[in-house]
Amino acid sequence: MTAYSLSQVTKVYGKKTVLDIDSLKIEKGAIYALLGPNGAGKTTLLKILGFLDYPTTGNIYFQSTPVTFSQGFLHPLRRKVVMVSQRPILFTTTVYKNLEFGLKIRKVPKKKRDRIIAESLDLVGMNHMVQAQAHKLSGGETQRVALARAVALSPDVILCDEPTSSVDLENQITIINLLRQINKEKKLTLVFTSHDKLQATSLAHQTLFLDQGRLATASYENLFTAVLTAKERGLAQCVIQNSLTLSISSDKTGKVRLLIDPEKIDIAKNVENRNRENHLQGKVVQVAQEKGKIRVVVKSGVYITLLLSLEKYSEVQPMVGETVHISIAPDAVKII
Amino acid sequence: MDFLLDSLISSFMLVASLDRELFSVVAVSLKVSITSSLFASMIGMPFGFFVAIESFKGKRMLITCLNTLLALPTVVIGLFVYALISRRGIFGPFDLLYTQKAIIIGQTILIVPVVATFTIAAISRIDDRYRKTAMTLGANRFQTIFVIIREARFGIAAAVIAAFGRVVSEVGISMMLGGNARGFTRTMTTAMALEYDKGEFTLAVALGIILLSVSFGINLLFHFFQGRTGQ
Repeated sequence: MTAYSLSQVTKVYGKKTVLDIDSLKIEKGAIYALLGPNGAGKTTLLKILGFLDYPTTGNIYFQSTPVTFSQGFLHPLRRKVVMVSQRPILFTTTVYKNLEFGLKIRKVPKKKRDRIIAESLDLVGMNHMVQAQAHKLSGGETQRVALARAVALSPDVILCDEPTSSVDLENQITIINLLRQINKEKKLTLVFTSHDKLQATSLAHQTLFLDQGRLATASYENLFTAVLTAKERGLAQCVIQNSLTLSISSDKTGKVRLLIDPEKIDIAKNVENRNRENHLQGKVVQVAQEKGKIRVVVKSGVYITLLLSLEKYSEVQPMVGETVHISIAPDAVKII
Repeated sequence: MDFLLDSLISSFMLVASLDRELFSVVAVSLKVSITSSLFASMIGMPFGFFVAIESFKGKRMLITCLNTLLALPTVVIGLFVYALISRRGIFGPFDLLYTQKAIIIGQTILIVPVVATFTIAAISRIDDRYRKTAMTLGANRFQTIFVIIREARFGIAAAVIAAFGRVVSEVGISMMLGGNARGFTRTMTTAMALEYDKGEFTLAVALGIILLSVSFGINLLFHFFQGRTGQ
C-alpha cells in the first residue's frame, strides 16, 4: 500500500523554485532516506509530507486520499504524521508532560496515557528521566525523548529531519538503531533526511536523492562540487573537494557539479599499472546488497559509491576495511 | 542629614503602628492599580498576541505607534479622559469624575500599550519550533496558541508586572481624575504629593517605603517562580 503519492509537486518561494517533483511514491511501512546537499529541498519536502507546509502546485495523495491543503482538512492528517525536526525542541516542562501533550489532546484516558508514556520512554531508554525537566536534557537525550514523543502517538508516518546531525557519535548509533527498531516493531513508515550517504544506505530500504529541488535516481549518488582546471593531454583536470583529482572529457572550466556513475567504476584488489588515468586507491567502508547489485562504498579522499554486478563482486570480493584499487573511466563522469 | 534620618525613623514607626490612614491610602492605591492592571491585561495580552503571531500590512507601524504610546505622559491621559467623563463630556451622565472608576479607566489606557508591547516582545522571542512541534503533535489552533502562551508565560508575567509598576507609581491620572479625596480616591502617590505640599514628610516617606516594598515584593515573587522553573 502507498503511504504518499506525489505528482507535479512544486514549492516556490518568491521567484525561486525550491522543490520540483514530477512523481514520487512512498510505500507504507518502509524506511526512506532523503539525501542531498544543503538547500536541495529536503526539509521543504519533509514539511509538505508532514502537512506543515503546502505545495505551490501539484497533487498529493495520503493513504490513497487526495490532500486538500486547508486548515480543517490538514488537522486530522497531522494526527497520523509526526515530524521530528533537526534540532527538536521540548516544551519547558517535564519529560512526562512532553509525552503526555499529544496523548492528552487525543483524549487518551489517564491510565492508558501512563502506560504508553512508560512504554515509549522504555523504547528509547529514557524511563529513568520521566520526571526530569526536559529543557535540561543533553542533545542526544532530547533527540531520544522527541522520538519517544512521536512514537507515543502511534502515527502512521514519522518524518525525521537529520535525526543524527546534532548529536555525538554514541547517540548517533543509538538513534539509528532506535529508528530501525521503531520501524520494525511499530510497522510505521519512516522518512528521514541525511547528509550521510553511508548512514542513509545502511538504514533505509529506499534512498531518494534531491538536488536543487529535483529528485534524481538513486544511482546518481556520487554527486560532487568540483573545479575544472586547465587541460592536460586533451582531458580537463577536475579537482573534487580539494582532495581528489580526475581527468575528464569536458570543455568547461571553473566550478561545476558532477556525477560519477557508480556502475561505471571498475574495482580490483591488485593492479599492474597504477599510473593509468583516474586510478585511485581507497579503503572499503561499506558493502551492502541492493536490488540485485552490490553497493560498495570506498573512501578515497571522498566517499565513492560503486554498484557492482554479482559476478564482479564474486570475482573481487571486497571486504570492509580492505584496501582496493578503483578506476573511473573519463566517460563515467557527467557534468550537470 | 538629621532631618532625613528623623523622617525615616518616624516613617518606620508609622508603618509599624499600622496607622489606619496610611493603610487606607495603600488599600485604595493597590485596589485601583490591580484592577487597572487586570483590565489592561485582558485587552493588551490578546492584542499583543495577535500582533505578534499574525502578519498584516502596517504591523511595523502599529508596533512603532505602541512603542510611542509607552512614553505617553499621564497628564495627557488625565486631560483626555477628563474631557470624556466631565459633566460636559460624552460620558458625563455616568458621573465618573473623581471616582476610583475614573482612575482605573485612565490607568488602563496608560498601561494597555505597556502590556501589549511587552507581550509582543515575549511572544516574538518564542522559538517558532514550539508552534511547529505543537502542530505536528496534533494540536489545533487554540491548543497551539496555548502552547505558545505557556512558553512565553514569564515574559507575559513581566508585562503585567511592568504595567503594575507603572500605574502604582503614577501621579497625574490619579490626581486629575481621582481628585485626591481622603479615604476615597487618595492613592499613595497623590498622598505623597499632598504631604510634600504640606511640608509633612513623615507620611510621605512612609508611603514611599511601602511603595518600594510592594514593587520589591512583586519582583521577588516573579524571580522566585522564574528560578523554580529554571528559566
